[in-house]
Amino acid sequence: MIAAVHAEWTKLRTSPGMAWLLLAAVAATVAVSWAAVAATTCRNAGGCGVDPAKLSLTGVQLGQAVVAIVAVMVIGGEYGTGMHRITLAAVPRRGFVLAAKAAVVTAVTAPAAALGVAGSLLAARPSLRPNGLPSLSIDDDQVMRAAAGSVLYLALIALLALGIATAVRNSAAATGFVLGLLYLFPILAQSVSDEKWQRNLLKIGPMTAGLAIQATRDLAGLPIAPWKGLGVLALWSLGALLLGGAILSRRDA
Amino acid sequence: MNDTIISVDGLRKRFRRTVALDGMTFTVRPGQVTGFVGPNGAGKTTTMRVILGLDAPDAGTALVGGRPYRSLHHPLCHVGSLLDAGALQPGRTARNHLLWLAHSQGLPARRVDRVLEDAGLTSVARRRAGGFSLGMRQRLGIAAAMLGDPPAIMLDEPFNGMDPEGIIWMRGFLKALASQGRAVLVSSHLMGELQDTADHVVVVGRGRVIADASVARLLAATANGRVVLRTESAAAAVVLTDAGGTVTATGPGVLTVAGLTAETVVALMNSNALPFSEISAHRATLEEAYLELTREAVEFKAVSQ
Amino acid sequence: MRALIHSEWTKFRTVRGWVIGMAVAGFVILGFGLLPSFQGSCGGRGPQSDCVLPVGPEGQAVTDGFMFVHQPLTGDFSLTVRVASITGVLPPGPGQDEMREGVAPWTKAGLLIKDGTTQGSAYAAVMLTGGHGVRMQHNFVHDTAGMAGSVNSPRWLRLTRTQQKITGEESADGTAWTTVGTVTLAGLPSTAQVGLFVASPQYAEVDDESSFGSFSSYGGFTIATALFDNLSRAEGWQGKRIGGPDNMDDELGSFEETGDGSVRVTGSGDIAPAVGGPAGIGTGLTDTLVGTFAGLIFIVVIAAMFVTAEYRRGLIRTTLAASPGRGKVLAAKATVMAAVSFVVGTVAAAIVVTLGQEVLRGNGVYVHPASFATELRIIAGTGLLLAVAAALSVGLGALLRRGTTAVAAVIVTVVLPYLLAIAVLPPAAGDWLLRVAPAAAFALQQSLIEYPQVLNLYIPQAGYFPLPPWAGLAVLAGWAAAVLGLAAHLLRRRDA
Repeated sequence: MIAAVHAEWTKLRTSPGMAWLLLAAVAATVAVSWAAVAATTCRNAGGCGVDPAKLSLTGVQLGQAVVAIVAVMVIGGEYGTGMHRITLAAVPRRGFVLAAKAAVVTAVTAPAAALGVAGSLLAARPSLRPNGLPSLSIDDDQVMRAAAGSVLYLALIALLALGIATAVRNSAAATGFVLGLLYLFPILAQSVSDEKWQRNLLKIGPMTAGLAIQATRDLAGLPIAPWKGLGVLALWSLGALLLGGAILSRRDA
Repeated sequence: MNDTIISVDGLRKRFRRTVALDGMTFTVRPGQVTGFVGPNGAGKTTTMRVILGLDAPDAGTALVGGRPYRSLHHPLCHVGSLLDAGALQPGRTARNHLLWLAHSQGLPARRVDRVLEDAGLTSVARRRAGGFSLGMRQRLGIAAAMLGDPPAIMLDEPFNGMDPEGIIWMRGFLKALASQGRAVLVSSHLMGELQDTADHVVVVGRGRVIADASVARLLAATANGRVVLRTESAAAAVVLTDAGGTVTATGPGVLTVAGLTAETVVALMNSNALPFSEISAHRATLEEAYLELTREAVEFKAVSQ
Repeated sequence: MRALIHSEWTKFRTVRGWVIGMAVAGFVILGFGLLPSFQGSCGGRGPQSDCVLPVGPEGQAVTDGFMFVHQPLTGDFSLTVRVASITGVLPPGPGQDEMREGVAPWTKAGLLIKDGTTQGSAYAAVMLTGGHGVRMQHNFVHDTAGMAGSVNSPRWLRLTRTQQKITGEESADGTAWTTVGTVTLAGLPSTAQVGLFVASPQYAEVDDESSFGSFSSYGGFTIATALFDNLSRAEGWQGKRIGGPDNMDDELGSFEETGDGSVRVTGSGDIAPAVGGPAGIGTGLTDTLVGTFAGLIFIVVIAAMFVTAEYRRGLIRTTLAASPGRGKVLAAKATVMAAVSFVVGTVAAAIVVTLGQEVLRGNGVYVHPASFATELRIIAGTGLLLAVAAALSVGLGALLRRGTTAVAAVIVTVVLPYLLAIAVLPPAAGDWLLRVAPAAAFALQQSLIEYPQVLNLYIPQAGYFPLPPWAGLAVLAGWAAAVLGLAAHLLRRRDA
């Protein structure tokens, strides 16, 4: 298992463009977060009910797409070239292969996510007060939870994407599937006029539930509690990995 | 010491309506090059994939050193293989490709440099594999197969796309591996490629073994060559057939005779006063032996299509 | 070019996965449109609770409920009155629970002539409004502005009938008169109901312009009281709440004659076109097409793969060897994908728009009827939207050459801005995004009509897009053209 992880790590490390993609994930997260804060102004003294943590972490919405690409390419690139046969000949225990990939994907996306999240908070902070928004204090437990949770969120999105790409065996289709799964729930929920249905959709959607972790205000009004929401996403990721693992083990390579 | 390194027993596999393997059974012994020969679609690649645990057979077993491939701890140290030289991520350098494979077997980086040198790739080791010619990719694949210094090597169509120089290198390389005591299994759809390389041949067609014999025995078993006779005489065919030969008209005024030596043919023609302008004798080649053996399989395919 | 398109078509239809994927795209559009997920309250409270909106003389669903102090007048006439003041109450603000003093911007008080007191009948009126000065309006959808005015400065109004012609005039002092407008009410009988009216519509406001995350709005009904004096006809007035029970006298509709031609009228409601959204009721046809996004994702994935699959295995070299005109190859690919997507989108939308409304109505949701032309635009627009998005996807596929990045790029440029606009960004930023992003083309699916004379939240969440339909399509087409142009340029310059 250690050898398998070592091999996957070498593979990822020497995969061209991977460093750029991770950099892009960080940049996309920070840039969109900064833009969202810069575009939001409030003239009321009360801060307009803006959740400064959530607003400052808006970039995760785009960053997750790049993180998903990273994860999809870790397995999809092999299916595309037929190299997965070499991998499976070298490590015949296929569960190990997927586990090793999951380990290295987490190992690269989590630091990138941490950079993106930290960068977002730093980039957003100076603009909050001039725009009339509530300020952000780093030593606030809620803010720490939102920040750490967003890092976990991005890592879980990577695992979800890895599982789906392993199951789908085609990079482009897997990317479409993952991003569709993430983005469709909130769009569908928005167009459902029935409030009960709307909340149910927001509760089960991997993105809508997972991003509840970013909320630091009006927690009672959320469709799902922050950690519970992240738990829903974790279930999605686990399910995707199990499905991917089952398909990888059962099917001829 | 176990005498067989790779053993395949009663493999069966079908893909939807196509039967790929139909009771494939053979063994590969150390110290010799075993040719694995058959027309395209005979089941060679599928058999190799089953040996490597990539495809699951519907029935039968494939063992490497007496164990299923999937149970091997560092499988590349038991058997090295090259299935598809193009199966590379093009952006990665040759050395890095071997490096991750080495790490998967717990092998050090110096092993990578060693096999690169053996394959003559040291000068291009840090170039992207995507820019390699087919021949260079084949060499890279061989290097990957040798990474674990395995007692058995399995190569699928290694001669494909190689230039004459490369083919000569490959033949020498395979012989050298066998002389080191390794088991070498080489598939090809052209028997001629293996003429001077293989010691043993497993001929397959339609997913099963047609012949499994040493090259010497296979050549001996094949009909003793044939005689090509150029004659305008219509009676020649009758005379030669009466004498026990199999006569086929292969062109205007050209007869091909099997089952009679050239000397007998000349004697018969002379004693019956039949004129002929040319006679040539052909010794049987491995290619012919193979064609004879696989004719049935190929014909079946032609009819079924 | 025809041969090229033919060959690309053959390439498309012979990959089973792509054909199935396209069919699935159509089915998800159908599925989301026809699955009974919405529940409304219409019809749910017994047979009489059906949501039926009155229909105006020009065919639109209308709101026609207000306080009318009227009497029948036969033949030509002229009626003059002075609106002395308008006062009223507004719904509680956020965090409050008491009604506030105030007049809604589209509170109306003035003179009205109407073809009877049934809802939806033809009318013409001249009025002073809460925030939009003097207006002349008729038959619900037509609105002409007079002078600016305030609810605190008295204003004289005059309504004159000359056969079918109705003229509205205004004056600051009762002597110098200005014509606001003259309209013709065809088919108005010689005896019509004429008098004073007060309407005060539903009020809605976004909680805060910059509220973040889920947007919220608040609002509710409003009530207004207008003080009329100098009424030129003193006798014979009776009050009626149009759309309400007869002779009901309560806080939502009452009148009181205080002598000397002075009348105090209190009313609520509106005489205007009906709108969907926070200040209206029900939903538009657009809501049946929510599956378009799911279908779109299938289509853009296939369109991107249609190009990138060739790069993966080097088929592109065969393609370019067979047809060296590289720009044309790209054009042929885009054409084939666009054509297939158009057919899928149009067929699916046609079924959803016709059947989906019935499903929604069956579930008790009020669906605003749309004109045949609008339905046609929505159906063909869905096809066009998917077709142009597919072409954009082909362009991005050729530009990026890798399936993963191409698919992600398409989804991030087409779907994400829409999501940010409706669910994440504050309305102002979302509005801006939906003017410049490819998702602007979803305006093609807008079925509700924006009326300036009705206060409502005309925001994407409620089915109103900032750009008109064809302008929205032009934005998407611009993106597609730019990307395809760049891709064609690079395709010619790069080695295959």
